[in-house]
Amino acid sequence: MSNQVMNLDKSAVAVGRKRAKISVSQVVAYVFLAALCLIWIVPVVFGITTSFRSQTEVVSTGFRLLPVNWIMDNYTAILDNTSTAPILRWLTNSIFIATSHTFLVVVVISITGYGYARMNFKGRNVMFFTLLGISFFPGVVNLIPAYKIIDALGWVNTAWAMVIPGLAGMGNIFLVRQFMLGIPKDLDESAKVDGASDFRIYFSIMLPLIKPVLIVCALFSFTGSWNDFLWPVIVYTDVDKMPVTAGLLLLQDIYGNYRMIGQLMGSAILAIIPTLALFLFAQKYFVQSINLNSGIKG
Amino acid sequence: MKKKLNLAPAFFVGPHLILFLVFVVIPTVYGIYASFTQWNLSGAPNWVGFANYHTILFDTSSTFHNQFFNGLKNTLLFVLLTVPPLIILPLMIAVALSHKKVKGKTFIQSVLYVPGLISISAAALIFTLIFNKQLGITGNVFGSTVAWATHQPYAWITIIVLTIWGGIGGNMIIYRASISGVAEELYESAELDGAGPIRKFFSITLPSINFPLIYTFVMTTAGAFNVFGQPLMMTDGGPQQSTAVLMMYIRQLAFGSGESIAGMASAMAVLLGLVILVISALQYYVMNRNTN
Amino acid sequence: MLKKKLGALITGIAVAATVLAGCGNSNAGDPKTITFWTPLTGEDGAYMDNLVKEYNATNPDIKVKHVVTADMYTKISTVLSSGKGVPDLAIIHADRVPGYVKQNQLENMSTVMQAQPELKEDNYLPQAWGAGNIDGTQYTVPLDIHSNVMYYNKDLLKKYDAESFLDDGNVTVDELLSLKGKLAEGDFAVNDALLSWVMLAQVQNLGGDIQQDGKPTVNTDIIKTAIEDVKQVNDAGLMTPFGEDGYLMFQSGNVLFSTDGTWSSTAHASVEGLNFGVTNVYSVSPDKFTNRASSHLFAMFNNEKRSDEKEQGVAAFLEFIRENSIEWAKAGQIPASKEVVESPDFKNYMQSFFTTDEKEIESLYIYTYEYYPYVAEAFDTYINDLVRGNTPIDEGLQTMQKTVEDKIAEANSGAKTDGK
Repeated sequence: MSNQVMNLDKSAVAVGRKRAKISVSQVVAYVFLAALCLIWIVPVVFGITTSFRSQTEVVSTGFRLLPVNWIMDNYTAILDNTSTAPILRWLTNSIFIATSHTFLVVVVISITGYGYARMNFKGRNVMFFTLLGISFFPGVVNLIPAYKIIDALGWVNTAWAMVIPGLAGMGNIFLVRQFMLGIPKDLDESAKVDGASDFRIYFSIMLPLIKPVLIVCALFSFTGSWNDFLWPVIVYTDVDKMPVTAGLLLLQDIYGNYRMIGQLMGSAILAIIPTLALFLFAQKYFVQSINLNSGIKG
Repeated sequence: MKKKLNLAPAFFVGPHLILFLVFVVIPTVYGIYASFTQWNLSGAPNWVGFANYHTILFDTSSTFHNQFFNGLKNTLLFVLLTVPPLIILPLMIAVALSHKKVKGKTFIQSVLYVPGLISISAAALIFTLIFNKQLGITGNVFGSTVAWATHQPYAWITIIVLTIWGGIGGNMIIYRASISGVAEELYESAELDGAGPIRKFFSITLPSINFPLIYTFVMTTAGAFNVFGQPLMMTDGGPQQSTAVLMMYIRQLAFGSGESIAGMASAMAVLLGLVILVISALQYYVMNRNTN
Repeated sequence: MLKKKLGALITGIAVAATVLAGCGNSNAGDPKTITFWTPLTGEDGAYMDNLVKEYNATNPDIKVKHVVTADMYTKISTVLSSGKGVPDLAIIHADRVPGYVKQNQLENMSTVMQAQPELKEDNYLPQAWGAGNIDGTQYTVPLDIHSNVMYYNKDLLKKYDAESFLDDGNVTVDELLSLKGKLAEGDFAVNDALLSWVMLAQVQNLGGDIQQDGKPTVNTDIIKTAIEDVKQVNDAGLMTPFGEDGYLMFQSGNVLFSTDGTWSSTAHASVEGLNFGVTNVYSVSPDKFTNRASSHLFAMFNNEKRSDEKEQGVAAFLEFIRENSIEWAKAGQIPASKEVVESPDFKNYMQSFFTTDEKEIESLYIYTYEYYPYVAEAFDTYINDLVRGNTPIDEGLQTMQKTVEDKIAEANSGAKTDGK
């Protein structure tokens, strides 16, 4: 980490020299970001290194960022336990669930967003904000009716229960709708004059323009689906079909304690690898200049 | 509302509407219905009219009244303490990252996003160890002699630190994406006028990302009102119920170890929903008006 | 270009949908399988898995499928309300029995007991069996007793010359107080793990109870005395500081006595250099000691689809458990079957301390009060602040009493129907 920062500094200095000027704002930005990164990364590193510690070392007094003895026992224990805690299986399930969910979210929010932003029908905005308002109600005992619905559909213990209900969410549609409202009307109006249908406009004009916001929404949906743990615990009983977050809860003992701290950390580390990989991949898309305020650059 | 003859809107809005009806409206309506009943989750609900609401709001000697107002007070405190940093910090990061000469953006961004991927129980455990006097940083590196989880204001600090550490990633991405889309020419012409970075931020950046700001503000606030995981795992509501948030009480009433008191829990949830609704609407209205 | 991408997208969805459709409900309602739900997460689940595997290896007519669930009671509520997917057999905790019976959700065990005559009171530890008996009807068959116990650090006891505390099996508060001023800095006499269970035990030690004639009695002089006595240990600086993880401090060798559970012995054993033993939880009375316990009980939720044949299968499985649950001792628990706890094998386990004689067995106390869960919740929420002196005891006990009463009033739905 510190190496990386130093490299950054060096290259920044090099750039600065070339232009023979290091601006104050640049220094401020670096100091701020470096400080923040340092604070943010210490708990992560501590979590990772804890997964390489024995329980004896976890409970020995004094803070050490790095273990005295690096051990792999936690990971071998995690990977060996394929009957009650098949973590690789859980990861596969999670990848499948989160990917399917994300695909469908992108389809649903782009189509629905188009409807609420670009089509004219009576009560459109009232309807939109009513739905948004309803979605703000915290669902607690709603769990029971929601489960009954899933059960009536025959989706208990299936990935459907994880993939479909989340598509009803309003947050991403809110974002997409607003984004589309910012795209100049003349674009689709001229297309309409040429006789293009709404679907055609959605498909060939809007979809390419809203790609950036869809990427952001896809990332959020994937992460959200991946991290959800209350719902999967209710709809899954089959240990082989569970996603990883629900599975990790099985590692706690009945009283909610983790007896083996290193093993929990190891499992949590394994569980973030796929989402982290997706993030690193998606990152290059939203670093390209994209604009969430409106689809067209000013 | 009447359907127009044009069926195209139904095609675009309809599928989601059906999903929304099935998976959001029906359960929510049922939850609201339950708030007017006494219900133990498994038997048939027993209609009691406004009795639950009356108890919660006006019966000052009732446990449920005290739980609701203590929980609401603590939830509001959590919202006030976490929402501003969850907006401002990501915004500052995004602005700093938008600086043309800053290198290593991908790396920095990843470091700040990763905590949000770690499961809440593991994250809470990491911070429980970090704030542990014997084993962690606060005691050994900074020489703090207080047990943080059971003394205020430290108990709140542990909750807030965990929340901010794990929560800035999403908003950071939205601001990054928004700011990197602001037209370069705007900044260039401002520079020609001699505007410094601070003026550029307030006169160009902020107005340009108006909607993302409203969006994140509303959504972050609504999310913060639903908090329960962080206080549950860091302090378990203590010391003396000072970090017990409303959602913890609601969940204990509905899914505690005794017979479920789900009607009362639903009434509290509906009241919380109304609070969220009013506050979100106000936020949206005020921010939209100020910028238009 | 775009079309190509959309094509890929649609293909992706189609593939996803096909695979999703493939994940049907495979074993729901299988007449040849007993679906068996347990809340036994963590290592406990693995030991139960072993038992189930051993049973299935005996080639029974109906095999058992063990399902560990992280939030079992919520899930039970959901399946009971939908009426589908109710498990054939489940493990529930002792304090849940009165509630479920009152709501008429448990099937009694008479058919099962008839099928296997050895499934009877005489063959089990009395309090574990009794926890499933409501008004003369037996609703459960016990698996174990798991209890609050007190571990001690042998090396520290030697260092501070406190080994004599263990002599009569009753470590009293006065004995703990005698350590005042003798401990090195950073060492503590006792931690606060499961403190609310410790306090519930003191109530028994002083001859009190949490109920009288079905009404909760939390705000009593006896409970006040118990709190005041234990508070002395805190005030003398002998209890690990409030908010610090006393459980981990015991593992790191800074605490003489740790009041956690039977099930912790496996974790303590994984710490190198921790030389520990187990005894009864300390007592505020020199005459009596109590270990507040609970029990894992086999129960059958009402389910019309459970055939008689399956109940025979359940009976066979429970009989197997009765004879073979020594495996369960590995999880640190005390099997409820007398045959197992009296076997020489069980002597190898640390927790056999609690079945050495009648007095020890009697010390394992299971609360069976109908509203015990509300009382326990109140203890969990408030007792720490009272023992630590953050809240005046009288005020705290009043709040606790009121909380329990309000919840009971609310839970008795039907009794109060005149809604305003």
